[in-house]
Amino acid sequence: MELFSEMMQNLQEFFEVVFIYIPRFIPGVIMTLQLSALSIVIGTVFGLTATLFKMTKIKPLEKLIDVYISIVRGTPLLLQLIFIFYALPEIGITFSPFISAAIGLAFHSGAYISEIFRGAIESIDAGQREAAISLGMNKWQAMKRITLPQAFKRSVPSLGNQFIIAIKDSSLASAITITETLMLTRQFVAATFNPWPIFFVAGLYYMLITTILSKALLRLEKRLKVYER
Amino acid sequence: MNDNKKVVDERTNQTSDQSQAENSANTPAMIEIKNLHKYFGELEVLKGINMTVEEGEVVCMIGSSGSGKSTLLRCINYLEKKNQGDIYIEGKKVVETPKAINAIRQKVGMVFQRFHLFPHKTAIENVMEGPVTVKGMEKKEAKELALKLLEKVGLSDKEEEYPAMLSGGQQQRVAIARALAMEPKVMLFDEPTSALDPELVGEVLGVMKDLARDGMTMIIVTHEMGFAREVGDKIIYLNEGVIEEVGTPEKLFNNPENPRLQAFLGEIDF
Repeated sequence: MELFSEMMQNLQEFFEVVFIYIPRFIPGVIMTLQLSALSIVIGTVFGLTATLFKMTKIKPLEKLIDVYISIVRGTPLLLQLIFIFYALPEIGITFSPFISAAIGLAFHSGAYISEIFRGAIESIDAGQREAAISLGMNKWQAMKRITLPQAFKRSVPSLGNQFIIAIKDSSLASAITITETLMLTRQFVAATFNPWPIFFVAGLYYMLITTILSKALLRLEKRLKVYER
Repeated sequence: MNDNKKVVDERTNQTSDQSQAENSANTPAMIEIKNLHKYFGELEVLKGINMTVEEGEVVCMIGSSGSGKSTLLRCINYLEKKNQGDIYIEGKKVVETPKAINAIRQKVGMVFQRFHLFPHKTAIENVMEGPVTVKGMEKKEAKELALKLLEKVGLSDKEEEYPAMLSGGQQQRVAIARALAMEPKVMLFDEPTSALDPELVGEVLGVMKDLARDGMTMIIVTHEMGFAREVGDKIIYLNEGVIEEVGTPEKLFNNPENPRLQAFLGEIDF
């Protein structure tokens, strides 16, 4: 009985801390959202540009994109962020912590998104392109009107996955002094010596963001499937 | 050969078409191909093709698979790049610049074996796509044109359907309407009924017969010998990249000279 009441009291204390810290996390969560959104939007632009560069079949451009993708895939994101924030200033290129984080995250997700787009474009039947150019379209019209819309639809599931990874990856920005959700978590733990409820709140926020995004993407996927039997 | 009377009717129709073409002997041929060679790597798939297609003529290309007939068709609108030889369209030699090739493709419509309709667009959007994107036609005007063409192929009630909701025969008819929307002077058909269930072949051949009757110049790669015999003005037999025999359907089907063509026709039941 005593054990039970002790447990209840612990639980009550736990949730008291949780409720106190839920609002205190909001600035960090907003920062996480901002970084994730930038990483996703700029990353998608980077990714699409990289894919289209590669499709031009201009050798130097193709090579450049290959190098970009190899570097991003071959090195840890943490290293990339630290490099941008601590090493680039050595050669006179200095960004604010926020810009460094945004560039680093977008640069990183752009490489993966580009690979997703490339795979999706290559999965579209060659007959689609042939049908388009046989109507007299040039190759860019065929790409824009026929191949890309189909490829985009096909890339939505993997793209969604990458977006969720981008949200979680934004936590690494804490390594370059950005006060986002993870940074706040560590500060609050250090201040309270009470890790459980604080970690719980941080996890809750991440789960909330990724769940909402997943649901939205699922909805988009369903809407795009209209024309499939 | 299940409808002899119809065949005879068609025949009279075509003879008049043919004589029309002969009368206008001064106008250049719609398509003239001179000494065309095509290689895939080391393999020579077309070995010096010479052929002429007059305006309003329906030419059927027959031959076993791998004979190069589809490749020849695809060379005409530059989906395959020829390695040697010249193509003349309306008497003008085709210059191989991207712009000139696009212009040729607008004049030369193509219908594929596997339809290749755009799956993310409805039937009517498929038909409107060429005029709007390539010719810059107003959407309203393109829609009117597309409706007319869908009606022509007997699908006016399917305009808002996506390709996935249509049968193979319906899809191919939309594909024909899509090609016609560019108002081409020549239509190329690459085995248009080979991917269809047998009961759907007739509806597509019917649309093609109507086109032939309207005087459309057509080059058709086909295994439908009955159709070739009925609608073709000229039959071309291709074997291993060489045109082995050319002639009227009567001559090729009733009195084939080439022993390989005799064997080929012997294998087919039509």
